[in-house]
Amino acid sequence: MTDANTPAIACQNLWQVFGQGADKALTDALTRSGNDADKAAADLREHGFIPAVQDANFDVKEGELFVIMGLSGSGKSTLIRCISQLLPGTGGEIRVDGENVIGAPKKALTELRRKKLGMVFQHFGLFPHMTVAENVAYPLRVQGVGKKERLARAQEVVSLVGLEGREDSFPRQLSGGQRQRVGIARSLAVNPDIWFLDEPFSALDPLIRRQLQDEFLRIQATLKKSIVFITHDIQEALKLADRIAIMRDGKIVQIGTPTDIVLRPVDDYVREFSKDVAKGQHAKVASVMRDDDQRGPDDPGLTTSMTLDAALAHCMELYEPVPVRDENGNIVGTVHPSDLAAALQVEET
Amino acid sequence: MTAVTDLPSQHASHLTVGAKAALITVVVGAICLALEGVAPWLVKWPTAWELPATQWVGAFLDWFLNGIKPAMRLFSDLMAYPMYWANVLLGSQPWPIEPIDLSEPIEPIVTPWPLVIAVVTAIGWYLGGLPMATLGFLGLSFVLASGYWTESMSTLALVSVSVPVALVVGGAIGILANEVPRVKSFVQAVLDVMQTVPTFAYLTPLLLLFGFGPVVGLIASAIYAAPPMARNVMLGLERVEPEIKEAAIMSGGTRFQQLFQVEIPAAATQIMVGVNQCLMAALSMVIIAAVIGGFNDIGWEVLLTMRKAQFGESLLAGLVIVVFAVVIDRMSGTLATERKRYDQRVVWAILVFTALFTAAFWAWLPNPSELTLLDPVAEAVDSGLTAFTQANGPWLDALKNNSLFYVLLPLRIGLDQAVLPFTWGFQWTPGMSFGLFAVGAAIAALMAWRGHLTGGLVVLILIGMLETGISNLPWPFVLTGAAALSFVAGGWRLAALSVGLLCTILVSGLWERALLSLYLSGAAVFSCAVVGGLIGLASAVWEPVWKVVRPICDMLQTIPLFVFLIPVLMVFQIGEFSAFLAICAYAIVPMIRYTRHGLVNTPEEMMEAAISSGATEWQIMRDVRAPYAAPTILLGLNQTILYAFAMLVIAALIGTTGLGQSIYLALGQADVGLGISAGAAMAILALVADRIVQGFAEEQRKALGL
Repeated sequence: MTDANTPAIACQNLWQVFGQGADKALTDALTRSGNDADKAAADLREHGFIPAVQDANFDVKEGELFVIMGLSGSGKSTLIRCISQLLPGTGGEIRVDGENVIGAPKKALTELRRKKLGMVFQHFGLFPHMTVAENVAYPLRVQGVGKKERLARAQEVVSLVGLEGREDSFPRQLSGGQRQRVGIARSLAVNPDIWFLDEPFSALDPLIRRQLQDEFLRIQATLKKSIVFITHDIQEALKLADRIAIMRDGKIVQIGTPTDIVLRPVDDYVREFSKDVAKGQHAKVASVMRDDDQRGPDDPGLTTSMTLDAALAHCMELYEPVPVRDENGNIVGTVHPSDLAAALQVEET
Repeated sequence: MTAVTDLPSQHASHLTVGAKAALITVVVGAICLALEGVAPWLVKWPTAWELPATQWVGAFLDWFLNGIKPAMRLFSDLMAYPMYWANVLLGSQPWPIEPIDLSEPIEPIVTPWPLVIAVVTAIGWYLGGLPMATLGFLGLSFVLASGYWTESMSTLALVSVSVPVALVVGGAIGILANEVPRVKSFVQAVLDVMQTVPTFAYLTPLLLLFGFGPVVGLIASAIYAAPPMARNVMLGLERVEPEIKEAAIMSGGTRFQQLFQVEIPAAATQIMVGVNQCLMAALSMVIIAAVIGGFNDIGWEVLLTMRKAQFGESLLAGLVIVVFAVVIDRMSGTLATERKRYDQRVVWAILVFTALFTAAFWAWLPNPSELTLLDPVAEAVDSGLTAFTQANGPWLDALKNNSLFYVLLPLRIGLDQAVLPFTWGFQWTPGMSFGLFAVGAAIAALMAWRGHLTGGLVVLILIGMLETGISNLPWPFVLTGAAALSFVAGGWRLAALSVGLLCTILVSGLWERALLSLYLSGAAVFSCAVVGGLIGLASAVWEPVWKVVRPICDMLQTIPLFVFLIPVLMVFQIGEFSAFLAICAYAIVPMIRYTRHGLVNTPEEMMEAAISSGATEWQIMRDVRAPYAAPTILLGLNQTILYAFAMLVIAALIGTTGLGQSIYLALGQADVGLGISAGAAMAILALVADRIVQGFAEEQRKALGL
């Protein structure tokens, strides 16, 4: 599943600065600060510019579900728009399948979008004058795919998101949840490799949101796209992500697996996010596993992918270290029950 | 008095901007008054200092217009074809006009009127179902019965040619402005200016370019109707949700595909509003253009009957125009509001039935120009009106004269000249002036002492203006006052702009006429603000009032400008008072609407907070609703000002002085220089007023954090 050699998306020193003459201002600020991103950002702010994304560096591996999380105004929406080139990007590099898209000719971008990219929007972005089927088929229409063919494909995707029978409805006749299903279907119409989702479930009721999250995971399990997913909801991020990047004031402050974020927050800002999260439900046994052989006689049957809560339930009466197995049943390490308990302690703030 | 003299010296640094501005204005005004005798050039800008700007403008325009004349004439010749065919289709012109082969006389064919009615009814059905079909049918039946069928169809033909031109041109400008950001601000500025330039001012240069005839009306109405379309296209495209635009980009559409497949259809509602406004503007202008046209259309009919004082007929013709306006407005309005379209089979049924009916009974159907079903009504109105004016003559005269002598005239030439033994029963003396100022100063001092220094100074200024009269105001005072107001409303830049623009009027020799226009529109705006504000307040407080007022407002806004003149003329004859009333009737609507809208739209939470704090109805109105509505009400006032200026020129037809009259005269003499200069002066007045009021509204909004 993971092919670390060719990341689907690679961002290097990516900047998006707003303001008149931002390009030059960024170059100047970087020169003045000797390429120190924080200083350069402060410098830009002082001169009336807004560094909405500063010096972002990360890779999204093929088939990975990469979540970008942050409060509103932290620059996450700007970041995803840079990657999808809805915004030009002021400095740095974005490689999609190895090719730099910043400054790429318009035609190449259109081609890229037609073949490889799909995007879902927070407020759905549905075309009000088109039916569900026409909305979904639109990305094919712009490529000149014939009507019959594109509507057939639209039918497929519409069933994938569970909207059979609503093909001829107009967006205004649908509920919020249904509208976002249309948005999802449209973004999948051309079967893109890379899928952008900008807070896709934020505008929905909690119940519908959970339902759609589950369905999203189901779809992803079969399609295995490379995904950039934006959210401001830590629960959602932890539930969906392979890896999470946390943003604050335009800066990525931490990138890590859900367990990393919950158990090893780099600063108070990240800690604040994970404070309300029941760690036991998200952190895995692997995060507290030791590499030694000194264990007691008991074997409650722990595996690396078990959550801490589940592991603790198995070890309620045990005090000696116990073995941990991987998916194939081979013993790969040791867990001390006391470590489990310690990891679950809610931190004092 | 001590308060006034003490305060500025002691607390000069603590004065608010408004107080400082008012103080400067008072000082300048006082100086002007004091030096009136010594330096008459302070009051009246000497003729020797005037620049012959009107001549220069005229010479330049003559040269320019002559340069483009051949191209324009060609264009006008081209437009004659669609004009002719539109007339033929609507049945206002027979086809062929002359038999080609005279030896074999052919009966010319006229499109039968039942077909025209059927088409309009069918369109009504398709757009809005039974109500719209009924409206179309009854409306056109009324036109038929009035006997003005041919004239009306002539007008309709003109509209039906000018509107597509306006739609294409306006749409193209709107799209261009949307695509090229640099063009956008320029287009916006041009559209703003065009909105303030009075309609008649367009006509003079067009007259030179195209000569007399229907094509001038066509071009004028296309020019007049294109800006609303452009504006709404720009607005609609701008307001398409960003995510919809982004979705189109991410779908891989080219710019062309994004624009025509997504953005324009998504903006359809707003664009249809543009189509509606475009139609109404075209109709309004086609009718105004009759002033120079003199061909066989309904506007000309109104003008003709009005000149012959056949008010019954002219009212009837006016009603035909109103019916047209209502039908066109409501039908095109459904384009913007309703998505539902009705069964096309009914459309075909109506058309086929009418065609069969016409074919069968054509010989028995009356010739529409000979129909006089409503003539008795017109005559009855005429005689009824005569009886009415005779019966109520003294009362009406008293109303008119009292308003003139005790309100309008003093405003215009000041109490010192308006108060005569003949009207007021005594002669104004310098002592009275002194007394008046003393009273004013006392009030100002009292108000200053109570902490309302600015208010006090404003009272003093107003009293000074009343004593002098608006048309006699010294120019340094006007400039200072405008600068002071502009400064308070929008800072140095606005002040500089206002003074600069007003100075161009001053040196061009149009100053006195500008002041006259300012006086009449000022009086009308003031009346509208007070009366309209009160009606708006009443409508906001009592729902039943709004139920009555609303349809009246709708109607007043649909009626073409020209028609307002008929009723006032019927009752009050030609003169300034009639013009004043016509302006008020037209300009009061936005004031009512915006006032109500602002007051009604106070957020529910704020109201609830006030109620739970124990505020009474009246306290809520004064402390919560009124302040919250202030920016909206100011915008209404702004619209009222623009409306008043627009109507001022039309009202020149029935007797106003000032710039409006100059524009109208220029039209008669084909004097482009005067027409354009006076039009520009008018636009400048409107523009300055617009910017000042907008500035105040903006400040209010900022203060409220909106």
